Amino acid sequence: MTGIPTTLPCGRPTAPLVEQVAEGRADQLDAHQRDCPHCRAALGEYVRLWAPVAAVAADRPQAPPSLMAAALRAVRGPGDESEYGRIESPQGHTRVAARVVVALARHLAAQVPGVEVALGGLVADGHGAGGEVVPDVEAGVAGGSTAVRITLAAAYGQDLQALGDRIRLVVASGIREATGLEPVDVMVHVDDVFL
Amino acid sequence: MGTDDERDRGAQIDRWLVGKAREGDPQAYEELIRRHRDRIYRIALRITGDAADADDVTQEVVIQLWTALAGFAGTSAFTTWLYRVVVNRSLDHRRRHRPTQEPRETDLAPVAGPERSVVAGEEVRAGLEAIARLPENQRVPLVLCQIEGLSYAQAAAITKTSEATVRGRLARARATLLAEMRSWS
Repeated sequence: MTGIPTTLPCGRPTAPLVEQVAEGRADQLDAHQRDCPHCRAALGEYVRLWAPVAAVAADRPQAPPSLMAAALRAVRGPGDESEYGRIESPQGHTRVAARVVVALARHLAAQVPGVEVALGGLVADGHGAGGEVVPDVEAGVAGGSTAVRITLAAAYGQDLQALGDRIRLVVASGIREATGLEPVDVMVHVDDVFL
Repeated sequence: MGTDDERDRGAQIDRWLVGKAREGDPQAYEELIRRHRDRIYRIALRITGDAADADDVTQEVVIQLWTALAGFAGTSAFTTWLYRVVVNRSLDHRRRHRPTQEPRETDLAPVAGPERSVVAGEEVRAGLEAIARLPENQRVPLVLCQIEGLSYAQAAAITKTSEATVRGRLARARATLLAEMRSWS
C-alpha cells in the first residue's frame, strides 16, 4: 500500500486536505490553495480516490421489508395473526387481518397535522384474551365493522378536541376506503403533549 | 442528519415510544423499530461488509431489543444505546463468522483495482470492500460519522470513547482508505 505524503512541496500538511475532501469541501479553496498548484493537484487526486467512499455515503439502502416483517412477527409471537375482519360479497368474502387495520389507523392518524406520533389499536370487545387486538368486525351481514383506538402524543398549543375530530374523520374514512370495513367507533386518546 | 430541533423532537418521540414499549405495548415497539430500521440495517451492513450478515444482525437486534429494552436505563438517548447495540452485534457477528478476515492496521494489502469503480454500483462495492478492510477501531467511527453523518459527540457516546479519540480514529481511517485507493491505482 502506498501511503500519502504527510506534507506537500508547498509545505502544507496533507491531513487537512484529506479532511476537506472527506467532508465534501474540496471546492472551498482558501487563499493559498487558490494559487497553489500542489494543493490543487492534491485535492483533485484525493477527490478521485475518495469517490468510492463518497458513493457508499450517498447510497442509502433500506432494511428489506420481508426481513423486518419476519423479525417483528417473531417478537409478536404466535396467535397474533388470528384476528381478522370479514367482508361478504355475492362472489365470496374478503378477510382483512386485524394488523392491517391497526397499521392503517396508525399511519392515517400520524398524517394529521398536530400529531407527533400515533399508535393504533383495535378495541377490545370483551371476549379476546389479550384485550389489545380484538376486532369486533364480523357484525353485519354484508360487511364488517371495527372499532379503533388511537393513542397519540400531540404537538403543544392546539385545540385537542378539534384534533380528535380531525383524526376521527381521517381514520374512519381511510379505513373504510382501504379495507371496506366500517369503523363504527374511533376513540382518540391523547396520551402526551410535546412542548 | 436534520436540524437540532428535529433531533430533539425525534428524541422526544423515541422516549415516549420506549416508555410505552417498556409497558408492554408491541405497537409502540414496532413504531420504534420502524423509525430506526434503515439505520440499524445500514450500520450493520457497513460494519459487517456483507448483506447476509447485515440481515442476520438486523434480525437479531430487532428480536432481542424487545426484551433488552427493560435494561435501557434511559440515561442516554435511545439512539445512542440502540446504535451501540448494533455496532457491538455487528462486530461480534463478523468476528464469529469471519475471524480470519480482520486485517491488522499495518498489513492492508491491495485488492481490486479502482477501474472496477467506473460503474456506479461497482464504485459502491469498491468503497464497501475498502471500508470492510479497515481495522475495527477505524471502521466504526468512519461508518458512524462519515457514512451515517452522526456527530463526533454521538459517535463518542456510542463507542464510549472521547470526541478526540473519535476524531483521531476517523482521520486515520480516512488516510488509510485514501492510501489503499491509491495503491489500487
